[in-house]
Amino acid sequence: MKLAVVVQRYGADINGGAELHARYVAEHLARHAQVTVLTTCARDYVTWHDEYPAGVEHVNGVPVHRFPVDHERDVKTFARWSDHVFEHRHSYLDELKWLHAEGPKSSALVNHIVANRRTYDFFFFFSYRYYHAFHGARAVPERAILVPTAERDEAIGLGMTPPLFRGVRALMYNSPEERRMIQAASQNEDVPGVVVGIGSEIPAQGEASADRFRQKFGITGRFALYLGRIDRNKGCNELFTFFLRALPALPKGLGLVLVGKEILPIPDHPRIRHLGFLYDQDKYDALAAADLLVMPSYYESLSMVALEAWALGKPVLVNGKCEVLRGQCIRSKAGLYYETQAEFVETLRAIADWRSLNAALGRNGQQFFNQHYAWPVIEQKYLDMLARLKEADRANGESTKMEAEPGFLARRRKTLRPAAEVLSELPSGPVLN
Amino acid sequence: MAEFNIRTDSVDVEQIMRQIRARIKEKRGVDYTEQQIQELANVKLERFLDPKGVRSDLVQQFRRTRGTTPAPPNYNFEDTTLYDSHRGVVRLFRKLLNPFLKLMFNPNAIAHVLHMQGQINAINAQHASVRDELDSLYYEVIHNLVLEVTRLGIENKNLKMRVESLNSRMDFDERRARALEGVVQYKPGSGPSREERPAPARYSGDSGRSQPHAQQHRSQAPQPHQVQPAQPLQQAPQPPAYSRPEARPEARPEAPPDAAAELPAFATPPGVQAQGGGATEPAADGSGTVRRRRRRRRGRRGGRGRAQGDMANAAGGAPAGSDAVSSTPPHGDPTAHAALDDANSYEGADQDVDSGSDSGDDEGPDTAQ
Repeated sequence: MKLAVVVQRYGADINGGAELHARYVAEHLARHAQVTVLTTCARDYVTWHDEYPAGVEHVNGVPVHRFPVDHERDVKTFARWSDHVFEHRHSYLDELKWLHAEGPKSSALVNHIVANRRTYDFFFFFSYRYYHAFHGARAVPERAILVPTAERDEAIGLGMTPPLFRGVRALMYNSPEERRMIQAASQNEDVPGVVVGIGSEIPAQGEASADRFRQKFGITGRFALYLGRIDRNKGCNELFTFFLRALPALPKGLGLVLVGKEILPIPDHPRIRHLGFLYDQDKYDALAAADLLVMPSYYESLSMVALEAWALGKPVLVNGKCEVLRGQCIRSKAGLYYETQAEFVETLRAIADWRSLNAALGRNGQQFFNQHYAWPVIEQKYLDMLARLKEADRANGESTKMEAEPGFLARRRKTLRPAAEVLSELPSGPVLN
Repeated sequence: MAEFNIRTDSVDVEQIMRQIRARIKEKRGVDYTEQQIQELANVKLERFLDPKGVRSDLVQQFRRTRGTTPAPPNYNFEDTTLYDSHRGVVRLFRKLLNPFLKLMFNPNAIAHVLHMQGQINAINAQHASVRDELDSLYYEVIHNLVLEVTRLGIENKNLKMRVESLNSRMDFDERRARALEGVVQYKPGSGPSREERPAPARYSGDSGRSQPHAQQHRSQAPQPHQVQPAQPLQQAPQPPAYSRPEARPEARPEAPPDAAAELPAFATPPGVQAQGGGATEPAADGSGTVRRRRRRRRGRRGGRGRAQGDMANAAGGAPAGSDAVSSTPPHGDPTAHAALDDANSYEGADQDVDSGSDSGDDEGPDTAQ
């Protein structure tokens, strides 16, 4: 079986959620099928500047075919279009302009998909909101499997996305919340879909060493760990505010250790320590040494670091305003959530102070990870979906259901509601059943 | 931190969160700086004020008036609205006749103005909703301010009471110091009684002689209070007057009532007793002394006879670490410490005085009892 994984960026040194997700899936499916990655030459997710050379290279044994982007992103233009389509009544054409402004627009990539539609049995398109997924999936709908990685942001309320969700062959959801949101937005219940998520390259038991981490970085006390980009979009500013305000009430000596690229200025305080980017070994050592993982992000379709923490038996404390994270905590029984300063203090104290709770949450997390996110489980879900689609193809032949795009006049008519308005009507909150 | 009521092998995250929220709610109902409030209230105010009950009416009023007003009605007016109709035929005719209408006047201007008005209404509604959010913020701010003011009021009252307490203690200590200084002055100057009494007898331990001395002393008792307070320092080097205060315990009943009456409370000045108690009950009478000390300590802890007795101790020249030191007020009154330090430094200059001060220490409270 030949599979193509189509994603906006790809590389061993790219740690963005969807991109890492795509890499893990490609590398694991490569054990069962012939996998090729189709992507752009971009490395920076803000500018989409071509940094990798165009052509084919191998990353961890998987062939990667890179295509140049047509143009870099103009941030101001993108912001203007975003404001227009998210907040105002607009036309289908406006949304297409927004999509092009967002990038990474790579006509070469889409042309390659169209030209090689028969080469691959299925295309896995990652991230519904990008150019390659929208146009790529529309080009080969009968073979398109979408991994939407949808977050609860305005893009889900755009008028051009429901036909996409209804038109692909299958969807691989990251969480029940994501599935509910997409189904509510597009009424695509009849499209095959499964909640899969993603596994992680967890070290074997005993390989992650807390002592090694403490020796290497000179951290002796207890600490809560944040892993990821230190960015306002990830809720880090709120985390800093909450943590600094909570200091007098926090358990004695409990610090905050940050691991990741610094985009937001980090407060200069003796109990906050920034270690910068860490390689996997150090990252897992840090998790082993931490009392808990903090995940302050408002928007996540699936938190891989939370899964990694659970895999290592560590509880997590997440932002309760992110319904996915909150739902994960409730379903896994492996973490608490906060929405206010007071809740942050109390939940942090509960996890850090109450050792039995900490241990119980950690155990539950480990169990949850093994049941749902261990690689054999994930791989099997992908293989089952591929087998199901193959079976359907054999029975019914390839069917194309993608709705046609509006005509010349219709796409110019300002009939689409503001995306934010649509989003506000979608169901929210964690899915508990 | 109190543990949650769940079993660790069946963690229910939602249940834990409910408990956490209940705890937060409970804390906020009282105060989030509950510890501070309780510290203050436990000292003196619990009888007068219940911090839980201290609330301003302002908060209640704010809550009552904080109703959400519905957004005003608005309409969307587009360029097609004028010709719109739910009946297709009408809509068709209007569309057909539209050019004719435009010949008569310019409906676009009306449509434009109405469209603008609709947008203005929407903006106003948005502002109003922002205003509502701000109002809720103001509510929070005022609520917090009221809590802070309440807390500060309590703390202020507490501090006022402490200042009053310290003032009264200072006055008391001053009076006590004056009394003690008078006693010190009195002893060396009590010529007649000393002259009549043979010196060896004072050390003999013969309690039978104590009675006459006590009687003589009674007649001399008022004298100490007429002496200038600065003089005792000059008189201090006369050892006999100070060195035998332990030789008078049995003279307690004969303590001069007038002298005792002039002192503020509980204790009769030890010097007076020493003078009257010429009979000696040797310091070797350890059990009696210890018993008296115990009684005296109990008396102090019970709040009786503390200050004067302590000062008497100090004037009697108790060594550091002795009963005099332990007689510091249980709650560590700094002014009492200072007074004791002063007294000790004075007495410490004369070892003879020190050596005989221990039983004098016991004397005051015992007399008081």
